[in-house]
Amino acid sequence: MPSPAQDPTALLPLPTAMFHILVALADRDRHGYSIMQDVADRTGGSVQLSAGTLYSSIRRMLEQGLIQELASSPEPGNTDERRRYYRLTKFGRRVAAAEAARLDQMLRHARATGLIPKKS
Amino acid sequence: MPRAERVFQTLLYCYPPEFRREYGREMTYLLLDQLNAAQGPRNQAAVWLRTITDLFTTVPKEHYYMILQDLRYALRTFAASPSYPAVVILSLALGIGANTAIFSLVNGVLLSKLPVREPERLVILTDPSSSGVRQGSSRGERELLTFEEFDQIRKQAQGFTGVMAAQSRLENWQIRVEGQAPEEIQGRMVSGDYFKVLDAALARGRDFASPTEPVVVISHAFWMRRFNSSESALGAKIQLRKAVLTVVGVAHPRFFGETVGQSPDLWAPLGLQPQIIPGRNWLHDVGDERVMWLQVFGRLQPGVSLTQAGASANAAFKNAMEQSVGTSISEQNRKVFLDQHLKIHEGAGGASSAREQFTAPMMILFCVVGAVLLIACANLANLLLARGAFRQREIALRLSLGAGRARLIQQLLTESVLLAIAGGVASLVTGYMIHGALTNMVVQADPNFHQVFELDPTILAFTLGLSLFTAILFGLLPALNITRTDAALSLKEQGRGTTTSVAGIRWGRILIGAQVALSVPLLLGAGLLARSLANLQDVDLGYSRNGLLLLRIDARSAGYDNPRSLALYPELLDRIRKTPGVTSASFSENGLFSGSDSVDEIEVEGYTPKGADDKDARWDQTGPDYFTSLGVPLLQGRDFNDSDRAGSQKVCIVNEAFAKKFFVGRNPLGMHIATVYGDRRITHQIVGVARDHRTHRLQGPTPPRNFVPIVQPLGETDGVIYAIRTSGDANALMPSLRKSLQALDLNLPIQSLVGIDERLKRRTATNRLMSTFTLALAAAALLLAAIGLYGVLSYEIARRRNEIGVRMALGANPSGVVAMILRETAMIVGAGLLVGGGLALASGRILASQLFGVTAQDPVTFVGAAIVLSTVAFAASLLPAMRASRLDPMMTLKQE
Repeated sequence: MPSPAQDPTALLPLPTAMFHILVALADRDRHGYSIMQDVADRTGGSVQLSAGTLYSSIRRMLEQGLIQELASSPEPGNTDERRRYYRLTKFGRRVAAAEAARLDQMLRHARATGLIPKKS
Repeated sequence: MPRAERVFQTLLYCYPPEFRREYGREMTYLLLDQLNAAQGPRNQAAVWLRTITDLFTTVPKEHYYMILQDLRYALRTFAASPSYPAVVILSLALGIGANTAIFSLVNGVLLSKLPVREPERLVILTDPSSSGVRQGSSRGERELLTFEEFDQIRKQAQGFTGVMAAQSRLENWQIRVEGQAPEEIQGRMVSGDYFKVLDAALARGRDFASPTEPVVVISHAFWMRRFNSSESALGAKIQLRKAVLTVVGVAHPRFFGETVGQSPDLWAPLGLQPQIIPGRNWLHDVGDERVMWLQVFGRLQPGVSLTQAGASANAAFKNAMEQSVGTSISEQNRKVFLDQHLKIHEGAGGASSAREQFTAPMMILFCVVGAVLLIACANLANLLLARGAFRQREIALRLSLGAGRARLIQQLLTESVLLAIAGGVASLVTGYMIHGALTNMVVQADPNFHQVFELDPTILAFTLGLSLFTAILFGLLPALNITRTDAALSLKEQGRGTTTSVAGIRWGRILIGAQVALSVPLLLGAGLLARSLANLQDVDLGYSRNGLLLLRIDARSAGYDNPRSLALYPELLDRIRKTPGVTSASFSENGLFSGSDSVDEIEVEGYTPKGADDKDARWDQTGPDYFTSLGVPLLQGRDFNDSDRAGSQKVCIVNEAFAKKFFVGRNPLGMHIATVYGDRRITHQIVGVARDHRTHRLQGPTPPRNFVPIVQPLGETDGVIYAIRTSGDANALMPSLRKSLQALDLNLPIQSLVGIDERLKRRTATNRLMSTFTLALAAAALLLAAIGLYGVLSYEIARRRNEIGVRMALGANPSGVVAMILRETAMIVGAGLLVGGGLALASGRILASQLFGVTAQDPVTFVGAAIVLSTVAFAASLLPAMRASRLDPMMTLKQE
């Protein structure tokens, strides 16, 4: 478990897959397949997480304290035993925010140099 | 189960088991969900493709992660109890480091091949271990060749692509590089096609264009040292005695020449001998009198066998001898002379005087380091056994919490491999240091010896392989053993602390016994070698060593011819004797322990030789009052004096051994000895018998010797060695001596004075090397055994604390407990001593050749070794025993 004093920027930059997983878990708790679907939907199918990458990332994120596994299903109606649900921790949220800020900063740099069109 | 699921579950086996167990099921469901969602075979194939590609990147990552985790865990474990890894690494470093050092030395001297192209096609026509300059006639198998003989063989012998010659002795030369101060270097004269026959590529420039071209090829090391690797070195002028030589080539960095263990700085053409060694004629043979000074190598033509080449070389050799000897000697002598032959040797390993000298000592050292390695292994096995028992609880706990056996074994193996690598690196470092110490000691025996510790692939593979093998073997066995333990049972037992692992304790005892047993021959060997060395150093020379200094002067290299130099030496003696601080002085040609000796065929008046080998005697030519000034008593007759002159009656003095051999029951005084040179004979009359004294060897019987005044010589003189006895400080003597001698001739080369003790040091250097090395290793092995004993006893006492507690509760007093433990130790050590004694007796034969004044079964040394071992064992077991005696019986029983 991370200590509260842990610096979220220490983990940056996050691997792309991890960032996608954090974003997918930002609005609600999800199981693996749901994370994968969310990422695919959000990116219009351009990012397809496979089982290996997904669970390898989950293993690391659990260890780093970015997410936690839930003991039971958060949806009372859905009691699919085989599903394991994950939730973003406070620390995970801070790390995701820090990563988003980092990416935003980079985008602004790119815009400033005219590499991509300025925001209207 | 659908097929997709089966296929994927098989693929999942690529992941580390822990990961698979944790996420395998989830991953399978995920894939199945993806496949269900995908419409049509095309999309399903895309899912499969993505999944499998993904597998390729995540599988290695997960494995890497596992290893990293294991390493982190191992390091944490080591940090928690650092004494364990420290002792393991120390054992490996010592056991393997010592082996690496010896292997590196042996590899360099005995096994390696010359760094030239196709070394296996090289052959040596001379004796590879022979070195020096032999003058006179020769019989039987020829050791070295003369220049003319070499030249004839080179021209006539068939089956060779080339034949080359090299000066067998490495020379110490003073040279002066143009514009620089004079310096001492080592060099060797070689024939014109030396580099071509060896097929050794040069790093820069070219080799000799003709046999007499005044040029040199310098070594790569010398080029770097003296010329800073500058290209301008080519063309530089080097003054070497009377020759001015131009540098035309730089040898390859790895090239050291044809002799293993030597590294000349430069190579000059043989044809320049008259300028480089002035005053000598070593390029031409006169009758059967010859100067044999060359090692001769040939390179075989493809498909020519050693035997064919040998026959062809011998035919050419015989031809050369017949031509040179002509009809100058009688038919009978001619027959003896022509009866010489060459023995052809494989040449890939090069020539080496060190090889013969050091083969026996190195083999002994190999045995020594082998024993040390075994002791280190026993120690490791013991440590790991104890360690395994110690960790049984932890392992049992992890097994009961669901950790896989394979996973635990992998974890334990990671620890072993980590230790092996650390130990391997440590052994390379110790190997490097021991090798340095060893070569330093070898240099004392052979000043020309040169070898750098090279991390060549063989040695690296040897060290790391050995290290990995040892650690993995001793890591794997306990790992398999402990993880097999029934988890529940082990936990229970450990909790109660009853005596478990009886087998472990028994093995521990056996291993300690084995260590003790192996230490016995080591200690004994160290003791015997130390005593031999002491005996050698105390050998009675037959004259006092106190204040005895030696000084060699070679007038001929300063340009004196033989008659003039014979006149010069007594004159110099006068000046030496008059130098303040000198109490007495004289000189002789071969001197004391110089390594130079003369032997010739003689005829002794009234003595009939018992065979062809019974006609030889060694001789030396000396200055006046030689024996008196050296302090060797004359048993009969008189010393040489000033009345013995060139024209007077030729006289000689023989030693006791000579008198005993040739004059049994007769008085030698007045008898005659004729020294025979082919058809010539020089007769001297015996005027004295000197007591036996040592001039060449410290060991073995004194051979018969005969001494003549240098003014009535048996042969030409190659410089003389003054034996100067001084009452004061030797260092203070040198300046006044030099001044006094150079007042006579400023060009006279005067080397520094050498004390007889220093000279003798070289004679005993091999013995010192072995004694020091064996002693150091025996001490280290003893330390290992002590650590092992301490560890096993500590472990055993911890396991037996209930039993000891019960004993004490029943009235045993602390001293009784100490006595009990010491008694048990004594049993192990006693058994080890017995077995070790047997081992030592059996291996004594290996050592016998290196012993002097003491036998391999010497009882005093045996008892000494046993006492040392027992004392160390006693000390190592006292601490754990004391700890046991302080156990609180109530506490232990309560724990029960």
